[in-house]
Amino acid sequence: MRLRTFAWIILLLVGAFLGANITSWKLPYTMPENAREGKTVWQKNNCISCHALFGNGGYVGNDLTKLLERRSEDEVLNYLTDPPVMRPNREHLHPALETADAEALISYLKFLGDIPTLGWPPEPREVRE
Amino acid sequence: MKTFQAQVIARRYTLAAALLFGTQGIVALLGAADLIIPDLPSPIPYEYGRSIHLGLAVLWPLIGTMGMVYYFVSEDLDREIFSLRLARWQFWLVLTSSLSIYASLSFRLGRGREYLEGLPWSYAGIALALALFSYNLIRTLVKHKQRITPAAMIMSAGTILLLLFLIPNILTITNPIADEATKFWVVHAWEEMAFELTTAGFLASYLKNTGLAGKKDIEKWLYLEAALTVAAGLFGTGHHYYWIGFPAYWLIVGFTFSFFQLIPVALLVLMVHKGLKKRPKLGNRQKLTLALILSSLFYHVTGASLLGFIITVPWINLYMHGTYITSGHAHLALFGSLGFLVLGGAYYILSRGTQPDHKTYRRGILAVLALNGGLLMMSTALLIAGFLQAYRARYLGMDFMEVNLKLNLYLIARAAGGLLFTSGDLLLVWQILKAWRNSRPAASDS
Ligand code: HEM
Ligand code: HEM
Repeated sequence: MRLRTFAWIILLLVGAFLGANITSWKLPYTMPENAREGKTVWQKNNCISCHALFGNGGYVGNDLTKLLERRSEDEVLNYLTDPPVMRPNREHLHPALETADAEALISYLKFLGDIPTLGWPPEPREVRE
Repeated sequence: MKTFQAQVIARRYTLAAALLFGTQGIVALLGAADLIIPDLPSPIPYEYGRSIHLGLAVLWPLIGTMGMVYYFVSEDLDREIFSLRLARWQFWLVLTSSLSIYASLSFRLGRGREYLEGLPWSYAGIALALALFSYNLIRTLVKHKQRITPAAMIMSAGTILLLLFLIPNILTITNPIADEATKFWVVHAWEEMAFELTTAGFLASYLKNTGLAGKKDIEKWLYLEAALTVAAGLFGTGHHYYWIGFPAYWLIVGFTFSFFQLIPVALLVLMVHKGLKKRPKLGNRQKLTLALILSSLFYHVTGASLLGFIITVPWINLYMHGTYITSGHAHLALFGSLGFLVLGGAYYILSRGTQPDHKTYRRGILAVLALNGGLLMMSTALLIAGFLQAYRARYLGMDFMEVNLKLNLYLIARAAGGLLFTSGDLLLVWQILKAWRNSRPAASDS
């Protein structure tokens, strides 16, 4: 293979890749303003170090992509504004949020819950108590 | 052999990379301890420590790679780099930008994006350094058109791709799907495409310049290898797009192209194997470099490619995705394959013109063994812990936290492996520093 052929192949591949990405990341509907704020709250508090979204993130806490299918909004709000001790610690609390921030975050999680994720997180085969 | 000024400048890049690697081992060990000792008091909380660790994981290999590209491109072309001044500026820019990430994270200021943890302007600085780098390389290649070698060309292509895929990551992206995808342009397209190009370029130049392999043998198929790397590496990014809201066709694209990722790795192994078949007689410096390169190749095949391919199968990935298995693979691949290679390059460049005495050589080999032992121990523990998470929490549906709280044994084993790893890390960095000091008179920068 010659230099020129190599350069053309690379250019075409990168173009095709970028094009395919841009057409693939369309949102199911426009992101509401409070969900956008929620995303900022998520990032500012570095939640990703311990939790995952779409399965990507830290391993200390659970994946939160579809959290609102497991917990009610009130439960989550209480948890975030009046956080409990984080197991296995005896003193160390879960980081706390202001009520407004917690509400924005919940909107963000609600928005994420509506994104079709092709079956993520997986349904357990045998549901145990 | 002639020494180019670019090769002298390469010394500061590789030295900085080695020192940052030394720091990473210590930060990582504290993080691993935090996970097994409840209420461990620490000035930097776990979540920011992890961010520093991840930030370091991508940046020291980048800085080391910059030095290695300068070194080997000037050697391969047998010419000086276009602008030495730019190369010096670029160094300070990439170093201060990287350090600013760690500084801001120590004050709990970050962007909350995995791997790209620092504030946007730090990444703007790194992108600018990469732009200077690309410009400098392109001008060098244009100036010495007649002398362009495939190795110099693919290393430069790798550099330009690093820049291209970093740029979108400077911006703040609100669309969470796009945010996730562009993150993988660094986590994946950097590691498994751009750095694969620079890796193939180094190995080719190293084998050629040490006389381990003939110029013809290597250059014949280097462009083909590189084109395959780019095709498979780019569309292989699809294995990170399975569950992030991308359309279902990415399951097929990601899986298929990930399979093709194995081909250039096999070609790389073949290239090195051919070189070593000649049973060359090597000095201690070459042998220590080779120990690091062969370690890298071992993980490139096993922890990166084979394990990577297994977890790419969509219905396996659905259950293991985001468990400690990912962390096991990440350590085996990112440190095992890229980290070892950059350390090999750093040692080779910084020890030029000297030979380690017997004691230093033995210490170097001991360090490589400790790094390997520590890495294998950490990763094995993580893979077992991840398997238990996948089986108990994902497949059986047991409560996530209940499952996690029972993984302590494996996390302790991981921390123990980390301790061994960090001792190897510090021992190796010490030998690299010694090589740097001993070779200083021979390589003073004007
Ligand atoms: C030198 C080469 C490689 C490096 C440096 C590397 C690095 C990484 C890293 C750092 C991650 C973690 C990403 C995260 O935290 O989200 C990862 C994940 C992954 N890698 Fe690799 N990798 C390499 C090669 C491969 C290959 C060749 C394949 C497939 C053939 C592969 C398949 C995967 C998959 C499927 C995941 C996602 C795991 C999950 O779903 O959680 N990797 N890799
Ligand atoms: C002393 C050695 C090391 C120890 C104890 C260690 C420990 C850790 C810890 C505690 C985490 C947080 C997530 C988890 O619990 O797995 C982590 C993540 C990570 N480390 Fe290390 N680490 C070490 C060395 C390295 C090196 C040398 C590299 C690469 C150059 C590296 C790359 C990574 C990456 C990419 C992740 C993210 C994994 C993911 O999210 O999938 N680590 N490490």
